[in-house]
Amino acid sequence: MRMLVRFGKRPRLRFISHLDLQRFMQMALNRTGLPIQFSQGFNPHPLMSFASALALGWTSDYEVLDVRLAAPMGRKRCEDAMRAALPEDLPVIEVKLVDDRAPAAMALVCASDYHVSLSGGGAEAVRSAIPDFLAAEQVFAMKKTKSGEREMDIRPCVLALTPAEDGFDARLMLTEKASLKADLLARILAGRAGVACPEPRVHRVALLGRDEAGELRPLMEL
Amino acid sequence: MNLSERIEALLMKVQKPVRYMGGEYGAAMKDPESVDVRYAFLFPDTYEVGMSHLGMRILYHILNRREDVWCERVFTPWVDMAEEMRKNGIPLFSLESRTPVRKFDLLGITLQYEMSYTNVLESLDLAGIPLRREDRGEGDPFVICGGPCAFNPEPLAPFVDLFAIGDGEEETLATVDAYKAWRASGAPREEYLRMAAKIPGIYVPSLYDASYNEDGTLNSFAPKPDGGAPEVVRKALVNDLNAADYPETLIVPYGEIVHNRIMLEIFRGCTRGCRFCQAGMIYRPVRERGRERLMELAEKLVASTGYDEISLMSLSSGDYSCLPELAHEMVEKFARKRVKISLPSQRIDAVLTDTLRETQKVRKTALTLAPEAGTQRLRDVINKGVTEEDLARSVTDAFEQGWSAVKLYFMIGLPTETDEDVLGIAELARLVRRCYFSVPKEKRAPGLRITVSASVFVPKPFTPFQWCGQLESGEVIRRQKLLRDELRTIKGVDFKYHAPDVSYIEAVFARGGRRLADVLERAWKLGCRFDGWSDQFRYDLWLRAFEECGVDPDFYALRDFALDEALPWDHLDAGVTKDFLRREWEKAQSGERTRDCRKGCVGCGMKRYEGACV
Repeated sequence: MRMLVRFGKRPRLRFISHLDLQRFMQMALNRTGLPIQFSQGFNPHPLMSFASALALGWTSDYEVLDVRLAAPMGRKRCEDAMRAALPEDLPVIEVKLVDDRAPAAMALVCASDYHVSLSGGGAEAVRSAIPDFLAAEQVFAMKKTKSGEREMDIRPCVLALTPAEDGFDARLMLTEKASLKADLLARILAGRAGVACPEPRVHRVALLGRDEAGELRPLMEL
Repeated sequence: MNLSERIEALLMKVQKPVRYMGGEYGAAMKDPESVDVRYAFLFPDTYEVGMSHLGMRILYHILNRREDVWCERVFTPWVDMAEEMRKNGIPLFSLESRTPVRKFDLLGITLQYEMSYTNVLESLDLAGIPLRREDRGEGDPFVICGGPCAFNPEPLAPFVDLFAIGDGEEETLATVDAYKAWRASGAPREEYLRMAAKIPGIYVPSLYDASYNEDGTLNSFAPKPDGGAPEVVRKALVNDLNAADYPETLIVPYGEIVHNRIMLEIFRGCTRGCRFCQAGMIYRPVRERGRERLMELAEKLVASTGYDEISLMSLSSGDYSCLPELAHEMVEKFARKRVKISLPSQRIDAVLTDTLRETQKVRKTALTLAPEAGTQRLRDVINKGVTEEDLARSVTDAFEQGWSAVKLYFMIGLPTETDEDVLGIAELARLVRRCYFSVPKEKRAPGLRITVSASVFVPKPFTPFQWCGQLESGEVIRRQKLLRDELRTIKGVDFKYHAPDVSYIEAVFARGGRRLADVLERAWKLGCRFDGWSDQFRYDLWLRAFEECGVDPDFYALRDFALDEALPWDHLDAGVTKDFLRREWEKAQSGERTRDCRKGCVGCGMKRYEGACV
C-alpha cells in the first residue's frame, strides 16, 4: 500500500532546498510511527519520493509525497500521523491511499498551475504582454537545459495564461520532455513588455496529471 | 510592511537564508500575551554552530517548559545579513516570533569561546541595545552571560549585567523568578541586580570595585559596600543529573548543522585531571546520568525527533561507569529502528575497544584519539594518562575491526615542551602506521589515513596552567615547521595546523582583565567579528585595537603570572581551589602525575560543595 500526502509549503519555509526537504521528510516519517517500508541494503532509507521538486524560494499548496507502507493502514490514521509530524508551515492538506501497483505520483505529473505575483509596477507591464504572447505561434527564449543554455520555443509549454491582479496565473507543462519554469515565463513576459522584471513570487496552486479521457486534472483526483 | 515581511524581503539577498528562517519542527511557539517573561537566548555565532550546542538545547527546554516564560533563539547574523539589516534598519530578531531582541525582558548569552566576544557586541549593537550596561535603561533587557568563558568574565564585564557561573539548569530559572519579583515590586533597575546577586552562581560585575597596580596587575577586587554581593561567587552546581530536567524533544533543523543528531549527555565533569583542560576543572565533579534514565530519554528523543543517530556526549565517554553495558543496550534496542549510536571524544582506554565493537555494528567513522603530547615525559607534565602502549593497542584493535582512518590530536607549545616532544608527535604517527601494517592484509580495510592535528596551547583560567604564559608565536611557527617537515617523511599522513594569531588573541582574552573591554569594543568598531572563522579573522585590526587602547597584549598572553599575583578571576569559585591548582602546577613542572580521582580523592576542593563527591 502507498500513501500520497499532499502538503503545502508556506512562505516562511520557502528557502528550504529540495534536498533538505527530502532529509526532513525522512525524519518526519520516522516520527509518525507509521510502518514505513525501508529500502534494503547497507544504508536503508524510507521508500518515498516527491511528485515534483519545488524550486527554492517558491511556495505551494500542492506538494505530493509518495510513501510506501509496509503494512495496511487506515487513511485517517495516516493523515493524523503526518499532521502531527510536520510543522505548521508544512501543512498536510489531504492524504490518499493507493495500491502498490498504481503508477508513482512522479510519473503522473504532466503540468502545474502557478500563481505568479510581481511587486511594484511589474504586474501591469507583464499583464499587458499576455494577449500578444498568447497570439504568437512561437516564442523563442533562452532556456537552461541539461547541456547548457540554448534558445528554444517555449510557447507550447504554456497551456494557459491569464492575467491576475498582482501578476498572472499560468498552467505550464511539467514533464521530462517539456517544461517551463514560472519565473522564467515572468521574465519573458517582462522582456516582451520592455521592462525589467522584479523578483517574481511563485506559488504552486496544483500539480496535474491526465485522467483516462486524457484531460488534465489535479493529481490527487486521478 | 511589518518586521517579518521586511525580514523576508532580505532573505532573497543573503547566503543560507535558512539561518534566519525559524519555523522548525519542535520550535516552541507561544502566545506572547499568555507569558510573563520573554527570554531571548543568544548563541553568538551562526545558526549551524549554535544549533549544535547542547547547553542551549537544555536551557531552551527548561525555560519553555514553564508556562509563564517564552524562550526564543537568536544567533549572530552572518556578515552579509548584518549589512543588509543595518542598511534596511532591521533590528536583531528572535527566530520563533521575529520579535526585536530589545523588546525581550532577559537576554541570555552563552560564551563558549573567547573568539565569539566581538559577536556579542555585534549582536547587542544590531539589537539596538546600548553596549555598556550603564547606558542601558528602562525597556532594555538585562544581559546575562553564562558558559565556560563566564569563568573569566572580566573582559566582558562592562557590557554585561549578570554572569551565570556554573551549571545553568537551576540558576537560569532563578534569574527568571527574581525578574518577576523585581518587576512586581516596581523597584528601579539596579534593584534587580542586587536581587540577582543573591542567587547561587550569579556574579554581578557592577557591584564590585577593582583597582590596579602601576604595572597593570590587579591590586584589589572587592564587593561595593552595601551592595549585598558576596566576596566570592561560588559556581552553581546541579548534583543529581537523574533528577535534572533534560529535553525530551528537540528542534529539528532543516538544513545541515554541525551536529545534526540526538545529543545525549551521559555525564558531566571529568576525573582525569588533565592540567591544560579547563572543562575538566570547571565542570567537576563527575555526575552521571543513570542507564535507565538514559534509555528512557533516548527512546523519547528518537520517537519525538525522528533522528537516526544518537551521540553519547560527555568530556570522556569512555569513563562512563557502565559504558559497555550502556552501549550494548542502546545498540540492541535501536539497531532495529535503524538508529546509529556514536561516541565522540573517544579516548585511548581499555574499555574503549569493547565499546568499539558495539558501535561499529552500526557505523564506522574515523577513530579519533587525543594523545595531546608526543612524549611520555610531556604527557606526564600535562597529566594525560595515556601511554604509547595504550595508543598502539587501541589503534591495532580498531584496524583489526575494519577501521582505516585515524585522527590524532595534539597541542604545540605546552609548558616545558622541547623539540624532542614535538618530534615525538611524528614518532606516534609512525607507530600508528606500523600498527596498521602489523594487521594481516586480508584482515584490515584498505586505504590507511592518518590525520595529525596540532593546535596551539592556550593557558586557561582555573587550570594548573593558568599562571603559565603562552609560547611566543615565532617559536610556535618554528616548532610547527619542524613537525611539518618531519611528518612529510611519513607516507599517508595529513598534517593540520593553524597560524598562531587566533590562539594568541584567545590567550589574551582567556587570561585578561576588565581593561580588555576597551580593546574589545575598539576591535569590534574597527570591524572585527566572527573571529573564530579564519576567513573573517583580522589580526591586523586586533593589533591596531591594542595599540590604540594602549594595552600590551603580551602582558596577558605571554607573561608568566606570579603565583602570589591577584588574578582577574579570583573572586569566583569554580570548585577547584587555587591551592590545588598551585600544587598541580608545581607537580607538572617536575613531571609528576596525579591520579584519576575515581581512584581516590586528590583534594581538588570540590568537597567543599554540599552534596558533591558523595
